[in-house]
Amino acid sequence: MVLDRRKFLIGAGLTGLALNSSFLFANSGSTPDSSPITRNIPGTEEAIPAIGMGTWITFNVGGDPALIEQRTQVLKTFFDQGGTLVDGSPMYGTASDVVGEALDRLGARDRLFAATKIWTSDESATRQEAERSGRRWGVEQFDLLQVHNLRGWQGHLETLKAMKAEGQVRYIGITTSHGRRHREFAQIMEREPIDFVQLTYNVLDREAEDRLLPLAQERGIAVIVNRPFQGGSLFGRYQSEPLPDWAGDAGVSNWAEFFLKYIISHPAVTCAIPATTSVEHMKENMGALYGALPGAQQRQKMADYVRSL
Amino acid sequence: MSGAGWLSYSLEDFIMFGPQVFLRLFVRINQDLWPWPLLAVLAGILVPMLLLSQKSAPRRVALGLASVALVTSGYGFLVGYFGPINWPALWFGWGFVLQGVLLGSFMLFGGAPPSRWLDSKSAGYWLAGLWLAAVLALPWLTVAESGDWKAVGLFGLAPGTTAAAGVLLAGSLPGFWRWLYLAVPFFWSLFSAATFWSLQTWWLLGLPVATLILSFLAFRLSPSWARSRG
Ligand SMILES: NC(=O)c1ccc[n+]([C@@H]2O[C@H](COP(=O)([O-])OP(=O)(O)OC[C@H]3O[C@@H](n4cnc5c(N)ncnc54)[C@H](OP(=O)(O)O)[C@@H]3O)[C@@H](O)[C@H]2O)c1
Repeated sequence: MVLDRRKFLIGAGLTGLALNSSFLFANSGSTPDSSPITRNIPGTEEAIPAIGMGTWITFNVGGDPALIEQRTQVLKTFFDQGGTLVDGSPMYGTASDVVGEALDRLGARDRLFAATKIWTSDESATRQEAERSGRRWGVEQFDLLQVHNLRGWQGHLETLKAMKAEGQVRYIGITTSHGRRHREFAQIMEREPIDFVQLTYNVLDREAEDRLLPLAQERGIAVIVNRPFQGGSLFGRYQSEPLPDWAGDAGVSNWAEFFLKYIISHPAVTCAIPATTSVEHMKENMGALYGALPGAQQRQKMADYVRSL
Repeated sequence: MSGAGWLSYSLEDFIMFGPQVFLRLFVRINQDLWPWPLLAVLAGILVPMLLLSQKSAPRRVALGLASVALVTSGYGFLVGYFGPINWPALWFGWGFVLQGVLLGSFMLFGGAPPSRWLDSKSAGYWLAGLWLAAVLALPWLTVAESGDWKAVGLFGLAPGTTAAAGVLLAGSLPGFWRWLYLAVPFFWSLFSAATFWSLQTWWLLGLPVATLILSFLAFRLSPSWARSRG
């Protein structure tokens, strides 16, 4: 395995990728089972756990008391297993309110890395939308504000830069998904002083490997990965298949870990944000935050294996 | 967004809630309004009987009950329960309210009393039978889907059942208004069919399908409709 990692480093060097600290961390030595895998936010001393939590669909439960309580348990499990980053958006219906309510019940705001998005075509409404989201989450300010799907990004990004300078948000970024608008996305990454990008990347959807992930490394931009399970369809396709017999060597004991470790072992990736409605699934997903990570050769084998099924 | 950009979206990308949350809406509205749902069942059974009456007053009452049912399912279920987790439901909710107000206006202010389903005897019984089948059978689709009898989707509360039965009254409205009245259940059927397809809640697809079939049958069977075609 050490050999694999060394080869990976050399390979990455040959392709001209910048080896930032998170890259070295991702592949250095074995991670003790008891401590979560974390990643540095490039250019800072701050590290965040490599598995976060998404809230699209899963936390949009309206005012349903039973489901709010159930989702509170999902969030509790996430925190208990070492997670911190929760991703939301005003686009996700009542998810922000439900996260806020769950945080109230758990009294867990001190454990939270709060990440939401600006999602409005009114480019002058950035601050108002951030404030509205803050009230819904019950947080004074967000750790990360991202322009959702590049919607009105020019205006929003200008305001976000100003908000960051004023200390009203710690990090700013942009998002996309499903491989959409990658060209424009890359141009923004090249030109704008953003801290984070969020994009789709998983063992089947690997387009980001070509341009965006290397670019993020080069520019020192943290990467959040959405749709790590392709919206759940990876389980539908592969869960009935056996794991490869070398899975244990790659630190993988179930399919959730297989999919997530594939992602977070990429040197450019800071964090993956799977979403779930289930405490059991949350436990499985958080399993990927511990133990060994696959090396470069194993990652290739993982992608090949899935394609062969 | 460019045309090609839209092509990269699938139906599932627009669904922002899961099936469990949707089916729980029926449980919640039934529980929150208990015991009023019983009254809704009664109203659903009464409507066709009143419409078969020789006298015009009971027929007006029938339209009144149906219009209240459209308003309560629109404002109660769609605006109050479904809207918060799925914003297009808000628009449909107000559409249902409008549809109910339209029917109610004809009940109150319409010059002629609502046409009697008995104008054409066999057609009237058919319409009454279809109505009863809709309000008694369709509520169980949500039960079949969820496995929870408390999720029963009753006439006057659940928009699917209410829309399906409601279309049978289209013949009670004159010309243009009839088409306006049918527009809401028609678009609701398309919207809900797309939603249920994406959620893979196959039993629920019975609701929009039933609504479209009943619209067609209402068109064929309504006595006033048959008259106005001449
Ligand atoms: N443009 C954007 O900014 C953008 C776009 C897309 C997504 N996102 C963010 O990324 C997050 C993640 O993406 P996503 O929610 O679309 O999809 P995802 O995380 O790839 O998949 C979620 C699905 O996977 C299932 N799942 C999770 N863990 C599982 C397990 N251990 N075993 C079996 N099934 C499991 C869940 O079902 P169960 O509930 O049954 O577990 C759910 O249906 C979103 O929630 C959102 O925060 C952002």
